[in-house]
Amino acid sequence: MSTSLRNYLLDKAPFLTACAMLVAILATYASLQRGVFSIDELNLVTGSAMTLILVATGQTIVILRGGIDLSVGGMVSLGTVIAATQFGTDPVNIVLWSSAILLLGFLIGAANGVMINYLQLQPFLVTLATWSVLSGVAMIILPTDGGSVPDWWIGFGYSEFLGLAGPVWMMIALIGFWFWFKSTRLGTTIRATGSSEKSAFLSGVSIMRVDIAAYGLSGFFAAAGALYLTTQTGGGSPIIGKDYILPSVAAAVIGGVSLFGGRGGLMGTVVGAFILILIGSLVFALRISSHWQPVLSGLILLVAVLTSSLTEKTAKGQAQ
Amino acid sequence: MNGFLVRYRAVLLAYGAVVLLLLVTAAFSPGFLSAANIRATLVLAAFVGIVALGQTFVIIGAGIDLSIPWVLNTAAILMTMLCASENLPLLWVMPLMLALGGGIGLFNGVGVAYFGVPAIIMTLATNVMLQGLILVFTGGSPTPLAPDAIRFLAVGQLGPVPVIVVIWAVLGVAATVLLSKMSFGRHLYALGGNETVAEFSGVPTRRTKILTYVGSGMTAAFAGMLMTGYSGQAYLGMGDPYLFTSVAAAAIGGASILGGTGHYVGTVAGALVLTILTGLLPALNLSSGALQVVYGAVILITVALSSDGVSASWAALFGRRKTQGAK
Repeated sequence: MSTSLRNYLLDKAPFLTACAMLVAILATYASLQRGVFSIDELNLVTGSAMTLILVATGQTIVILRGGIDLSVGGMVSLGTVIAATQFGTDPVNIVLWSSAILLLGFLIGAANGVMINYLQLQPFLVTLATWSVLSGVAMIILPTDGGSVPDWWIGFGYSEFLGLAGPVWMMIALIGFWFWFKSTRLGTTIRATGSSEKSAFLSGVSIMRVDIAAYGLSGFFAAAGALYLTTQTGGGSPIIGKDYILPSVAAAVIGGVSLFGGRGGLMGTVVGAFILILIGSLVFALRISSHWQPVLSGLILLVAVLTSSLTEKTAKGQAQ
Repeated sequence: MNGFLVRYRAVLLAYGAVVLLLLVTAAFSPGFLSAANIRATLVLAAFVGIVALGQTFVIIGAGIDLSIPWVLNTAAILMTMLCASENLPLLWVMPLMLALGGGIGLFNGVGVAYFGVPAIIMTLATNVMLQGLILVFTGGSPTPLAPDAIRFLAVGQLGPVPVIVVIWAVLGVAATVLLSKMSFGRHLYALGGNETVAEFSGVPTRRTKILTYVGSGMTAAFAGMLMTGYSGQAYLGMGDPYLFTSVAAAAIGGASILGGTGHYVGTVAGALVLTILTGLLPALNLSSGALQVVYGAVILITVALSSDGVSASWAALFGRRKTQGAK
């Protein structure tokens, strides 16, 4: 095998492993149940995966930068409670509040970036603290699950265009965004800073700007995830966000995004998110206790991360 | 003296926060400084402190243990089931559960030290797998009441002092000696400071790293068993709050997630800060939402105050002033 092909495969091994696992899960699922490879099933699964995909998109950007964002959990909760208490029924009002929530997400993320960068604090601790603050604010706004959004807002998940549901189009748009974003100056700079902060700094990159952009986008996508989540739940919840913190990291890692920064992409994360969601369907189709779902997720996470760290070791061994 | 202040700035800040909180709380709710209330606060702080002991060691070694919640929960549930409210089985069940916690820590440690798996992912995977397995195993049905001996350890008193506070003190002294006086402590700080340098200086980095996870699994299992004595029985999800509090206590006490700094003495203050805050807010008529906001703010402020970045900015500020003066 030629060296370049070998290197290419080593580089893509985590992503390819994720794809293989997805195929294996789909094959098992299809052997147990009819209609797995239908448009209806695609619409359904994408609909339930979309919140995770959106949150994990932001998480992917931050992980590529070499950080981690635990505050997405707080942002998701806060976004849903603001939407559920403020939307009302007037479409203009709803558009304004949606924009405000997205902007708020970006600003809170940017504040994370500023604190991490300016005070040189660890992303894990800063975002742990802002997670606590944001979910606290969400609890103050709406102490228990409740509020409401209009029926037509909930209808988004069932809306269809050319046979594909709204969430599927959203995912296509998101992937389109990614292929544009990753080749922009900002996209390449975030990745370069994640690979080596020192060389990025020495080549004139403003690390502060990179941090503001990366964490800001993470907050933005978490807010988008919150808005989408309200179309699924029809209300707000001050605690629902914590269900997306670690799964968003797991989706990225399963898809081959390296926690050491600089390696991976959104396609992997989307595959990772689908794996996590489909495990639930698979456990259901297997007619075993639903409690096996976390066990399987954990095993898949371990397999994925072992592939990733072993190929990184092999690649390093070659370089030496 | 100056060196001492710089080195232990974070720890001193944390104890400063404890004193400040005590004064504020005493001003707002006069009953707070009663013996009974102080005892109740110390008991709750002891649970946080014991769980955070293992976490502190892991964090000093530049790792993190996210598997604590379900290691704790697993030990608590299995202990109550195996003992069936009897005291005698504790003689073999307690060591067994400690070994189980240590074994889970060994699994985490080997994954991190030998397979290069990031600590966040390794311990997260362990946590979700344990959660699933224990749910499958129990089917979510309630478990027997905690044995009386465990209740004594959790809520009993030796004279005026709660038993668990004595246990906490013994563990605290052991941890302090281990960190400050033993070669294990030196190895751990070297490992957390710079792994490559530590390895070249002959520190058994892998063994040291694995031992921190083993220790963390054991303290989590131990705390889980004691907690059943406090709440009367084990229940699903009882460990969940301790992920946040164990990391927060260590961070408030000055342990950097990047490793190499921190001390259990600081974590003790962190555990006290978190517990006093929990008791203070109801006295001020604040909701649990407000408590979360305050938790977050306290972590940010203490971490920021003790970070090198901030002292660097202070130094830069004063440095600039000096040069301006010179002009």
